[in-house]
Amino acid sequence: MFAYIVRRLLYAIPILLGTTFLLFLLFNVVPGDPALQLAGKHATPEVIATIRAELGLDKPWYGQYFDMLKQLVTLDFGRSYWTKQKITDMIWNGAGASFSLGFPAFVISTVISLILGLVIALYRGSRLDKTVVAFSVAAQSVSLLVYILAAQYVLAYKWSLFPISGYDPDMIQRWQYLVLPIMIFVFLSVAPELRFYRTIFLDELYQDYVRTARSKGLGMKAVLLRHVLKNAMIPILTNLVITIPFLILGSVLIESFFQIPGLGDLIVKAIANNDRPVLVSMTVLGTFAYIIFNLLSDILYALVDPRVQLK
Amino acid sequence: MSTSDILLSVRDLEVKFSTREGPITAINKVSFDIPRGKTVGLVGESGSGKSVTSLAAMRLIPNPPGEVTGGQILFNGLDLLKVSEAEMRKIRGNKISMIFQEPMTSLNPVFTVGYQIAETLMLHQGLNKAQARAKTLDLLNQVGIPDPSKKIDSYPHEMSGGQKQRVMIAMAIGCEPDLLIADEPTTALDVTIQKQVLDLLASLQEQYKMSMLFITHDLGVIADIADEVVVMYRGDIVEKNKTEEIFMRPTHPYTKGLLACRPPLTEHPRRLVTVSDYMTADGKEKVAPKIEFINPVRPVSETENPVILQVKNLEKSFPIRGGIFGGVVDNFKAVDDVSFGVRRGRTLGLVGESGCGKTTLGRTILRLTEPTGGEILWKGKDITHIGSEEMRKLRRQMQIIFQDPYASLNPRMTIGAAITEPMEIHKIHGNKAERLERAQALLEKVGLPAKALSRYPHEFSGGQRQRICIARALAVEPEFIVCDESVSALDVSIQAQILNLLLDLQEEMNLTYIFISHDLAVVKFIADDVLVMNKGKVVEMSNAQEIYKNPRDEYTKRLLSAIPKGVPKTLLDRGITIPNLNA
Amino acid sequence: MKFLAKKVNGNSLWSDALRRLLNDPFATWSFVVIVIYVVTALLVRFNLVAGNWQETIGGSREAPDLAKSMLHWLGLDIFGRSVLLKTIQGAYTAMYVGLVSSLIAIPIGVVMGALAGYFGGWVDDLITWVSTTLSNIPEFLLLIAIALALGKGTTTVCIALGVTSWVGIARLIRAEFMKHKNREYVLAAQALGGGHMRRMIKHIFPNVLHIVIIGFSLRFVTGIKSEVILTYLGLGAEIGERSSWGIMIADATGELIQGVWWGLASATAAMFPIVLAFSLFSDALRDAIDPKLRT
Repeated sequence: MFAYIVRRLLYAIPILLGTTFLLFLLFNVVPGDPALQLAGKHATPEVIATIRAELGLDKPWYGQYFDMLKQLVTLDFGRSYWTKQKITDMIWNGAGASFSLGFPAFVISTVISLILGLVIALYRGSRLDKTVVAFSVAAQSVSLLVYILAAQYVLAYKWSLFPISGYDPDMIQRWQYLVLPIMIFVFLSVAPELRFYRTIFLDELYQDYVRTARSKGLGMKAVLLRHVLKNAMIPILTNLVITIPFLILGSVLIESFFQIPGLGDLIVKAIANNDRPVLVSMTVLGTFAYIIFNLLSDILYALVDPRVQLK
Repeated sequence: MSTSDILLSVRDLEVKFSTREGPITAINKVSFDIPRGKTVGLVGESGSGKSVTSLAAMRLIPNPPGEVTGGQILFNGLDLLKVSEAEMRKIRGNKISMIFQEPMTSLNPVFTVGYQIAETLMLHQGLNKAQARAKTLDLLNQVGIPDPSKKIDSYPHEMSGGQKQRVMIAMAIGCEPDLLIADEPTTALDVTIQKQVLDLLASLQEQYKMSMLFITHDLGVIADIADEVVVMYRGDIVEKNKTEEIFMRPTHPYTKGLLACRPPLTEHPRRLVTVSDYMTADGKEKVAPKIEFINPVRPVSETENPVILQVKNLEKSFPIRGGIFGGVVDNFKAVDDVSFGVRRGRTLGLVGESGCGKTTLGRTILRLTEPTGGEILWKGKDITHIGSEEMRKLRRQMQIIFQDPYASLNPRMTIGAAITEPMEIHKIHGNKAERLERAQALLEKVGLPAKALSRYPHEFSGGQRQRICIARALAVEPEFIVCDESVSALDVSIQAQILNLLLDLQEEMNLTYIFISHDLAVVKFIADDVLVMNKGKVVEMSNAQEIYKNPRDEYTKRLLSAIPKGVPKTLLDRGITIPNLNA
Repeated sequence: MKFLAKKVNGNSLWSDALRRLLNDPFATWSFVVIVIYVVTALLVRFNLVAGNWQETIGGSREAPDLAKSMLHWLGLDIFGRSVLLKTIQGAYTAMYVGLVSSLIAIPIGVVMGALAGYFGGWVDDLITWVSTTLSNIPEFLLLIAIALALGKGTTTVCIALGVTSWVGIARLIRAEFMKHKNREYVLAAQALGGGHMRRMIKHIFPNVLHIVIIGFSLRFVTGIKSEVILTYLGLGAEIGERSSWGIMIADATGELIQGVWWGLASATAAMFPIVLAFSLFSDALRDAIDPKLRT
């Protein structure tokens, strides 16, 4: 097991190098000289040159790449072009909000999807099964933008059930602003998750060991909740772990629409303002998270599935 | 026989399945009885409906496609087809238990073996965890699992096939059922393990005074384990009788055919008789040809039968990786220092249990997988390391027929395309039209009609597909063919047909074969010389008759003693070694 | 459609699948819907329909009025242009984005996956490294990065989508090629003298084609949906020669508060059937072609 972890971490190095280099290429092709941007319209060439030197933009490309790597390793991402704040602070602040939105939504939607998935697997082929599946296919055929807009318009504006947007950093006060966004988030997640879990449960139901279990005298409920569930949890859990980084990154659109100052909103503003350092940092952070959680997922898989021995 | 002697009575059972092509009748008004404390053998080939019958008794027929449309199954006076599901659950695993064919997939991989056994005990006998655990240990002991206190907490994948089947048996007998249904329990096991499991079942039956319904396609296996035999064919029962009677005085042509087509162990027929010799396709009796017994030893001459293939110290190892950097830590030797020669026009049989390396050896000789050591000499020339272009030209002379007829043909190519492809690759036999003509001729040679050319593999049965594979191999006019378990996946009656075909072709075209199989009776029939393999090494090599009469190696002896004799012991004791088909 | 099903001759697995599809009402009606959209898109492309969508035909933000000409049925936008015409134009953009992004993603994915799965070894290692690197960057962020690098516009969206989504199909194809590579029918082709190319293209590929087709239709749908979001974020199409549903929905964000709902509704109502049709069709396709259902 230890050897496996070490090997995976070592393997992550070429991945990280590849990723950062790719990002570096992408962002350096972006037209527009950041120094000009920062200096403003009336800057003299000397000022621009100074700023350029400050940002390290006068170095050759490998020098700049090395700078970038150095920053990442020390977790110092520099300052935002737009707000001039330290990016590390911005990320820290945003993470709190994103997490308050994402985590409850994640838990609620997973629970709902699992239960619904189990129920329709139990009654597969029935009207309930067909209706739920049809509903989730239909639900996924509408853009999530539309859901957000419609929910905001109808529930918040017209019927005044919730505040239209906004946020309060206070631990207690924030929740009134989060209820509607969380509801939408849950609604959007359940449809695809449900179909995924249903497929997994059904795959398991056709396995030979289910026939054996029934031949022992177990009823379908016991078979599903005991035998099938334990097997199904393996792909389900590993899949869940991989989706966690997305929570941290925040649902970009939801945060933007509801003015929740999370990481997603941060990204949207950065795009609008051509704020390169922020975008680079966020992307790299996202990649880090992805790699780590992938590794965790694999380890979890090995722990949960007795057949797997990680060497 | 009074009714209290009958434990289970199947009466006019009818089961239908709805398929995309319409409803089919899997079981057509079938009736038979299982007496208390006795074993009934249910024998049939694929499509006979034997497994469906057992699933019907447990009411486990998958309901969307399948449905019981008529009849009764009486168990202690209760009609199992009419009781409630709750009632049925009390019977399953408790009064009637079942063990299945595939031990690999029949156990739940994420629960320990002990848990799965204890589950039944706690469900039906109301034991608590501690009591169930104690009983489980006892059961594991009874079924012969070594070191039960450790094994009780191990997972299925940590056990061998034979051990898993023992676990299944432990699960099934835990509640001391009245009836044990065994659906092909030994078909997927090696022959030495098969013998152990059969002995175990026989002793448990005696101990618990259970009835057993033993389902199999192999009459040889049934000979010693069953008191009565029921023979099924295409959903009907064609014959049922006491075991000895079936072997001595079979009445139905299908039964006769089934008995005849197994290669006998003591005599050597020139060709195997098959079911179609006794019965037409729609079930009418035919007068079968008399079986001609011959001296199996074929003379060897240096001019007629020179050595064309020589293998010297051949080795095939697979690296095992591990450690922090995933480097190679060890090597698994699938083929370990193997040497032998094969003469033209003769057949070398390669025999061994699963994992012995025989299939790997066959593929390595053809360089379908590259050898890691040793030499392969074809007609005196070393072909071990020649380039791919040269090897490709040689492939015309050396061909292979694989085990699984369902996987050996590309499902998306027509038969015509499949057979003409090798001609295309080697640019032989003219243009497209001429190649198709030749393909047609080849099909005829293997006994298939010309219109098969435009059909697809899924339209043919297993035996027919194997014939197509043979035709395809012949398309390049080979001199040497490796038959890698080529008949192992086929029903016994079809096996006989294919074996006959291979022999005919060998005579006609002076072909040389390496015949790989785990089935010793089949190898004895078709091979001139036999090589026995175990764990990658050759343990014994001799001519086919010698090896069966006078085996020298311990492993060979064990292998031979495990083969079912094919005839009930009571008959053997009277000196009768083959079924009497001329009654 | 069952009468059509009876007319399908032939016994190949494809004929079987076609018959099954024709017998499935969901599949056939989905296909009809897809054809309708494709035809509409073609008509728009060659300016046979809705070519004059930029014409102002009425007052700003007029509500839908069934009494007036057909062009007014879905109302007018802020510039007094027909929402109906904009919606039809949007169909073209959607189909274009779906098609082009899939045409980029699928060939790349299939080739990479096939090479990696078939050859294994260092080829597999290299391709896996490339695809892992790409897929480790959250797809969304990568899309933004590429869009920023290449500039805004519909074509950028297509390229960005294509380049980021090939990884998924590559992974599937790689797994399939690894599985089939050791199947007996491929070994038989090798024993008969067939080389690598023959085995990969003539033998394995037709047996994974169904995955490719299903992957294609899924990418298509993702393309349509992503265009909307990317446009909203300012990365996608801009008002220019053609309108798009993404633009319509993006515009709606400001308008909704003023009670102007018809732009949003039209775009959504137009997008719903085609996305639904593709989803249903690929599900039906998966069931029809599933080789497991055939012995």
